Amino acid sequence: MNYSNRYAINLTNLRLKFPGEDSLIFKDLSFSVQPGEKVLMLGPSGCGKSTLLQVLSGIVPNSIELPMKADEINLPDSWGFVFQDPDTQFCMSYVDEELAFVLENLNIPRSDMAPLIEEALKRVDLHLENLHTPILELSQGMKQRLALASVLLLEPVVLFLDEPSALLDPEGTKQIWSSIKQATADKTVIIVEHKIDLIADWVDRVVLFNDHGMILADDSPSTIFKHYQEELKRYGIWYPSVWDEYKESESFKSMMHEREQVSSFEKILLNDFHGFRGTAPKIFAKKAVAKTGDWIAITGENGSGKSTLLLTLMQLLRTEGIYKVNGERVIQKKRKKQLPKGLSLVFQNPELQFVTNSIAEELTVSLHKMSKPQAVNYAADLMQLFNLPNSGTRHPYQLSTGQKRRLSVATALTPQTDILLLDEPTFGQDARNTFAILEKLEQLRVQGITILMVTHDMEIVKNFATSVWTVADGVLYTNNEMVGGVFECLHGSHLDEKHGYSK
Amino acid sequence: MLAWFTPRRETWLFKVNPALKFIIFFAFLLITLFNQNLSFAVWQAVLYGILFYGFSGYSMKKLALLSIPLAISFFSSALTIVLFGKGESVLWQWGLIKISEESIQHALLLGSKSLSFGFVGFTFLLTIQPILFFYAMMQQFRLPSKYAYSFIASFRLIPAVTEELQIRRNALKVRNIQFSRGLKGMYERLQMYTVPLFAESIRRAQRIAVAMEAKQYQMGAARTYYYPTRYSLMDGVFLTVMAIGLGVTLMLAFWR
Amino acid sequence: MKRLKFTDLLITIMIGVVFGILMKFWDDLYTVVKPILPVARQLIYGMWFMVGPFAYLLIRNPGTALIASIAGASLSAFAGHGIEVLIYGFVQGLAAELLFAAFRYKRFSMAVAGLAGVASCLGSFTLDLFYGYAALETWALIVKYGLRAISAFIFTGIFAVLIVRALEATGVTSLIRPVDKKEYTMLDR
Repeated sequence: MNYSNRYAINLTNLRLKFPGEDSLIFKDLSFSVQPGEKVLMLGPSGCGKSTLLQVLSGIVPNSIELPMKADEINLPDSWGFVFQDPDTQFCMSYVDEELAFVLENLNIPRSDMAPLIEEALKRVDLHLENLHTPILELSQGMKQRLALASVLLLEPVVLFLDEPSALLDPEGTKQIWSSIKQATADKTVIIVEHKIDLIADWVDRVVLFNDHGMILADDSPSTIFKHYQEELKRYGIWYPSVWDEYKESESFKSMMHEREQVSSFEKILLNDFHGFRGTAPKIFAKKAVAKTGDWIAITGENGSGKSTLLLTLMQLLRTEGIYKVNGERVIQKKRKKQLPKGLSLVFQNPELQFVTNSIAEELTVSLHKMSKPQAVNYAADLMQLFNLPNSGTRHPYQLSTGQKRRLSVATALTPQTDILLLDEPTFGQDARNTFAILEKLEQLRVQGITILMVTHDMEIVKNFATSVWTVADGVLYTNNEMVGGVFECLHGSHLDEKHGYSK
Repeated sequence: MLAWFTPRRETWLFKVNPALKFIIFFAFLLITLFNQNLSFAVWQAVLYGILFYGFSGYSMKKLALLSIPLAISFFSSALTIVLFGKGESVLWQWGLIKISEESIQHALLLGSKSLSFGFVGFTFLLTIQPILFFYAMMQQFRLPSKYAYSFIASFRLIPAVTEELQIRRNALKVRNIQFSRGLKGMYERLQMYTVPLFAESIRRAQRIAVAMEAKQYQMGAARTYYYPTRYSLMDGVFLTVMAIGLGVTLMLAFWR
Repeated sequence: MKRLKFTDLLITIMIGVVFGILMKFWDDLYTVVKPILPVARQLIYGMWFMVGPFAYLLIRNPGTALIASIAGASLSAFAGHGIEVLIYGFVQGLAAELLFAAFRYKRFSMAVAGLAGVASCLGSFTLDLFYGYAALETWALIVKYGLRAISAFIFTGIFAVLIVRALEATGVTSLIRPVDKKEYTMLDR
């Protein structure tokens, strides 16, 4: 038997580094995969798993040049790759065009394209009335399935999946994995992923990396999940029982022990409140109240108007109706809109709100009223509270994704801030970062800060929120006190009857 | 926005091969650019005006709306030349301002040219589909696919980039960032917007390029086309119309 | 010289297009200023020469200044600015490209970048001569294009270089620049 046939992939003594960095990402790493194997690679973020996936597919060095060498490399001739970000794997604007792009690359005659395109969409359970649908109109989960469909057109022997569900909501996550399982039964599959509930018992083999890009363990899933729990927790992997264990932890219990309302002072009050984008009405609230120390989770489907609600509260969009902050009516001027005092908004993409070249400056730049030493002290406190590298000199863009997210929350906290609006602050974060952010927010809440947070994560809603607002088709529904009512409300279809709100 | 760009009717110009249309228009505009004869420039503008108002297939209301920027650019480009243009036969002078016969002529020449460019540009844009333009450039004019797909992929991201610009603007408001005055402020503003936008765009572009190559896109490799484009009878008609147009405008301008 | 990889090419064109979008917004400001303040208009005109040199400073591959300049112009053309911007984009990009080539693609200083901007400005002046924008009294000609050249130097020599430095600090540029040979020898340590 030919050596290269025995393995689907074989790699010996890989060395690789990033340009401009001193240390190696991989030092003499060897790795091989059998044909038909389903392999899951786990490890802390930044350990190089994704880069390894790119080496195994040949993307590094063919498309991306990185300094590397290896004693032996046997890579698959036929492979497909699904990437993490649904918005950066397509070059065309329409579903059919994107799939056709692959067929064009394969030099397949035009007359054969249409049936192949339909077939590919069927294989991933993507049923569209019109194949010429703009990709822009698909949900993130549908986009990932389209990415899978386009890759299946290559008839790959080996499939690489680089966190395909990291940026998807629970529904999308379920669908993409079911499509993957269905379509790849006979293929070799190599997966990097943090959210592993749905695949933990599907894969044949789990490879666990440590912080230094070395393989810590390589075994069956059951063995790994039994013997390496501590590591999985430390690396922030979303393994199946992670929430249950977290809820049993001392830190969570002491935090939630005798949790009570801070005060009944009405921080925010909305009454017959409308928000507009341009001239189009986008959000309506009959009546809504947020009190001091409330942690309000804002839920609802994509595109229902949750983010719009935050923008209207921040007065970045045109609004009408009664809106009171701290009991004072917010009046919107026609020309120069003023942002209400005390409110701050954390956007979804942290980088879009960074304005300086270091953590320390980032935290002091908005403190116009403070003296320099005061501001420096204030920033130092925040750095400590949010576990940021305490020299403070690092460039915000050079931080890890978790640090970036924490910094973006910290930047919103000026001494005046007592109402914090957050747009999915835990989205796409690993378990450790998620809990870290939630714990910081709880600390702020106890100090009397009111939190309004958009989220899709039902565990967060159940375990951290003090009440829930739901947005559906541009209408805000409130009044769901936390005593078990959340799920009925979210899944129930009696919203209108229950509250008597009209659209 | 896109719905606005649906014509009332699809004229014969829509059926012309988009790449051929571009090349011919481009060549004609080179003539416009280098021409220095006023009468020819005016007749050219008339010719392109006929194409724009007569055969772009859009309602007069929309065409009138599109004419506003054209009129503005006509007057704004002509005005400076009228007031400060060179010339000997002075008609009126006041301080630095000097209107002469030559300056008026130069201004009319410039204005007609800018009208021509505007008419042709809009006529082209209103009667093509961008995606077919790139496909035709690859098929009829051998534009290497790497350029065509890079443009297609980049243009696809325009909405994402403009949305990011908007978010950035809001974020700067929320962060309460105040800019200096003058040149320094201009730089601050420029940097505040460009750095996050370009950082993100560079990463995006790289990811998309990698994803395209992962889908076995190869520069220079033979490929088929999902949208086959070819020449048709209408291309002959188009060439004839343009040739006759050129002939007539030349005659009107230079026949004495 | 190394051939451009596809990733390099797509990044170059994307930078051009994104710049085109920014210029579109810049243009809104410009249209307001245009008829009122001729001097101010020339002073911010330098933005139109930035895209090519900026892309070259960022990616440092031969050809980037020209390609990015054309890409930026294409976006403007598609946004309805007329096909003549394509001709200007080509000539301005070519002028900047030739200037960087004259320094053998080895210099990235403010002076060289500024000169590239001035070269672009010269290119656009040549086109303006044919177009008819330059049919001015001598004093007006000197003021107009003198201010424009100064603006070109400020925008490409100072602003573009500073913005590229700010981007270098973010770490994204290491994704896109050619990898130094030394990096490979460091693997053997």
